[in-house]
Amino acid sequence: MDADVLHITGLTRRYRQVVANDGISLRVRPGEVVGLLGHNGAGKTTLVSQVVGLLKPDAGHIAVGRVDAVRHPAAARRHVALQPQAQAPIDGLTPRSAIEIAARLRGLSSRDARAAARDLAEELDIGPWLDQRALPEGGGLSGGIRRLTGFAMAVAAPIPLLILDEPTNDIDASRRRLLWDAVRRRGDLGIGVLLVTHNVAEAERIVDELVILDRGRVIADGSPARLRGTQDSDLRLELQLRADRADPSEEDLELPVLRRVRTGRRTLLTVSANEAATAVAWATGQRAEGRIDGFSLAPATLEDAYLAFTTHTDSASGAGIATAPTSEETTHV
Amino acid sequence: MSESSLAPTPSTSVAEPVAPIQVSLWTSFRSLLRWSLAMTGAMLPLIIVVQAMLAAGIVIGFGFLIPDITTDSALFLSSGAPTILLLTVGLVIVPQGVARGRASGALDYQRSLPVARPLLLLVDLVVWALIALPGVAIGLLVAWLHYDLTFSFDWPVLILSSVLVTTMATAVGYAIAVTLPAMLAQLASQVLVFFVLLFSPITFPADQLPDWFQSLHALLPVQPAADLMRAGIASGTFSADGRDLLVLTIWTLVGLLVTTRALVRRR
Repeated sequence: MDADVLHITGLTRRYRQVVANDGISLRVRPGEVVGLLGHNGAGKTTLVSQVVGLLKPDAGHIAVGRVDAVRHPAAARRHVALQPQAQAPIDGLTPRSAIEIAARLRGLSSRDARAAARDLAEELDIGPWLDQRALPEGGGLSGGIRRLTGFAMAVAAPIPLLILDEPTNDIDASRRRLLWDAVRRRGDLGIGVLLVTHNVAEAERIVDELVILDRGRVIADGSPARLRGTQDSDLRLELQLRADRADPSEEDLELPVLRRVRTGRRTLLTVSANEAATAVAWATGQRAEGRIDGFSLAPATLEDAYLAFTTHTDSASGAGIATAPTSEETTHV
Repeated sequence: MSESSLAPTPSTSVAEPVAPIQVSLWTSFRSLLRWSLAMTGAMLPLIIVVQAMLAAGIVIGFGFLIPDITTDSALFLSSGAPTILLLTVGLVIVPQGVARGRASGALDYQRSLPVARPLLLLVDLVVWALIALPGVAIGLLVAWLHYDLTFSFDWPVLILSSVLVTTMATAVGYAIAVTLPAMLAQLASQVLVFFVLLFSPITFPADQLPDWFQSLHALLPVQPAADLMRAGIASGTFSADGRDLLVLTIWTLVGLLVTTRALVRRR
């Protein structure tokens, strides 16, 4: 237990009537990348703000390393580097000087700080902008380069716990891939990473553990494979529904479905690989009869499971989680 | 420098739990200063232009209000100009900058850094002093060019009072910005300009005010600031007393206390 770089138990925080964090428990071990997923307003940023001492919990316990972060927030901050959701304030600085300053503040010597800036520029492919000054009102550097600079500032020096709050916002696809790799590499170096994101599909590749928050509560946690709850070979049959017709999958299906999720005008059915032919035949028939607009068949992803967890059963259609194998009763750590 | 020996080296981290940060206060201070200078320093040319225009407005413009201005009133007006410039930066430009930082998340970003939070205030005090203090020279230069006055500087008093007035104004301005909601802070800083410029005995003697307003100004920091500055600029004509120093010091301490509390406190 002492080995955890972050150990949160029963964390509760209210804003007047709204319970933003409701008895949250989670842990991050050294070298582990833990993804914190959830819709907007699920309470992710509130949780992070309490770890770095910007907000005070109403109840619960936060240990950062061996430090009680609720009682000694200043000491706890020495274990944590945060890339917040807001852009890092770097107006007037070049990415190079911003990274160097961040590294110096986290204890690197001047020489090591300069080397860190060079290495990170290469790792994130921001070399051409390294000496370009950020100007007020978003001038000088694009949002993506600013975001990558913010990431580089957070990882400029090794630190026990790295917290990244939506680090891929504004970033183009190719550099997003570099960034995910960089995050994974930090984990492999022994840093504990808490990764806050709603980019489920991309985060899946690099996280060891996932915690799904919904309305302030942990509704599921575990490894991606466990949360996916299905075999890697399982398939997702996506039905594009017609606005004027009922969802045909609500009726008796000749098709064995592992999980069924309805989101808006789409229904996601998880089926096993050996049912692929049956599934396609069934869906083709439905389309021919005009009961659906279209369909697609693809490998099942964590996103399907995530949607199953966070799609509320109180929606009008009543079609919520059908047979999610891990259910919401996943044990909390 | 000794702090480099405390720095963890990147290669030690493989598969081992990474050690928490150890940084000397001096390194933190220097790094934050570099950061803050770059962020706020970009405003320096603009602020110097504003100060020069304001100085011209006070020294020349207010002069128009007084027909047949005597050397005495010209000296009074001119020796008040630097105080107005320092107070304007501290009470108006600082709160607006801090309010912007609060809105953009920059303030919370710095508060989440592994540094002692009072250090953030100290760094800002230094940076704003560097930005505001040229105002003293600018104000006096404009006055000297316009009225051809001779000042009798008391350098120790002038330096002490300039630094104290700047610190007071920055601390109080900061306190306003971190205590009030952003909109109110903006409004308060706008109102303060008029109060300092038009309703404070800086460019005119206090005895021209009604009695009740004089007693109010005895408790506010504006008049003591002006008196102290004047005693440093024209020491042959004006003097300040210990009470001025005391009032100014109390306001400075209150401003620092309120700001430090707001920076350290978790919401």
